[in-house]
Amino acid sequence: MLLIRTLHKWFGLILGLQFLLWTVSGAMMALLDHHKVSGEHTVRAPAPLAAPTRLVPIGELATVIGAPIQGVTLRPLNDRYVYEVKTAAGTSMLDAASGEPVVVDAAAARGLAAAAYVGEGRITAIESVTKHGLETRGLVLPLWKVSFNDADNTTLYVAAATGDVVERRTDSWRLWDVFWMLHIMDYSSRASFNHPLIITVATGVAWLALSGVILLLRSFRRSDFAWALDGLERLRSR
Amino acid sequence: MRWPALARNTHKWLGLVVGMQAVLWTFSGLYMTAVHLDIIHGDHLVRHAPSPPLDLADLVEPGAVMTAAPSQAVRLETQLGRPVYVVTGGPERALFDARTGDELSPLGQAAAEARAKALYAGAEAVKTVEHLSKAPPEIRGRPAPLWRVEFQGWWRPTLYISAQTGELVAKRHDLWRIFDFVWMFHIMDYQERENVNNTLLRVATWTAVASSASGAWLLIFSFRRRRRARKAAA
Repeated sequence: MLLIRTLHKWFGLILGLQFLLWTVSGAMMALLDHHKVSGEHTVRAPAPLAAPTRLVPIGELATVIGAPIQGVTLRPLNDRYVYEVKTAAGTSMLDAASGEPVVVDAAAARGLAAAAYVGEGRITAIESVTKHGLETRGLVLPLWKVSFNDADNTTLYVAAATGDVVERRTDSWRLWDVFWMLHIMDYSSRASFNHPLIITVATGVAWLALSGVILLLRSFRRSDFAWALDGLERLRSR
Repeated sequence: MRWPALARNTHKWLGLVVGMQAVLWTFSGLYMTAVHLDIIHGDHLVRHAPSPPLDLADLVEPGAVMTAAPSQAVRLETQLGRPVYVVTGGPERALFDARTGDELSPLGQAAAEARAKALYAGAEAVKTVEHLSKAPPEIRGRPAPLWRVEFQGWWRPTLYISAQTGELVAKRHDLWRIFDFVWMFHIMDYQERENVNNTLLRVATWTAVASSASGAWLLIFSFRRRRRARKAAA
């Protein structure tokens, strides 16, 4: 038992700070409302769009695109239907009625973000994103970053290839993300919790917790529970 | 009570309250970090073949497979070597042969099994094929009806195929199921396994903060006392 006490103490000294950070970051993530963090309230589903009446024949797409086609999707994009065509070079879009190319430029991104946005803010900036940052990890580039001036500093990310609002970030998320970083110990990209550092520390802290529970068995005496036991006995002897 | 005794008592009692949960947190955390998320997701269970070039000649028009429902999307893809239209977005999801325009949905058992076999990357044979009219808990929230195709093997690899569209809806195996099980202990939501803001978790985590902080407090005395003891012995 003395050995376990010594080990508990030394593991506590070396890894205790990370255990404290795990409890604090875990407690904060449990506290921050997940629905608010996800920003789901900042965007709405697109308005229903009546089925198309006129379509470019699908057979003509090959000549318009001029490259081997790997996938075609006919789908609504705000107020019209588009053909989204996938080739080895990437994804491009055509107006499904006219066959004209649909390019999501800054002005189009502004319109798409404004149509999706729910809130009090107005657009303050539109920037092109061609390099991954913390807010755009895991997303397909390039993107349009559309910033709003609401209380939560909402930012919507519009995919340049498809015009979809693919991500929303708010100050609630940005705060949550700091605790997430501390929790998964990935300080540069905040993306992975499967790295040697966290596995090593988690092994040590698992022992810290387990040895603590073992120590509990020897840390309590009858006198610790006198307040409850004496009361019970008094009840019983009545 | 003197400071060291107070620190020790605080740590002891907080440990009694939250110690077992700390063990569950650390061991569930250890599992989740040690087994890579890509393996948990079962990325290795399905083939990742590049999509073959599509021949757009001699296809029925995508407009022909749409109904009057608004905001439908029609995706052209290859399933089992044949071009198909997957219709989504409306209330009814459906699958059509893109050459003939014939509706292929809802998929029968043989078609679903053939789809699963074509997608599965392993060499094992199919063990069971089951039709489900409601998504089971391990794929909660996914559209139904669907086919559950389980393959032979230790980890019970399972592919879920949509009966409406032939799409791969989800892939599961026992490493994922263990992850989901320990995740339940990690977030202390024993019913739905998805609410990370439940009151029990909030109370337990702040108790754990107090417990680890009191441990740090106790550390100050633990090491000083030891030095003193040595001096006394000398």
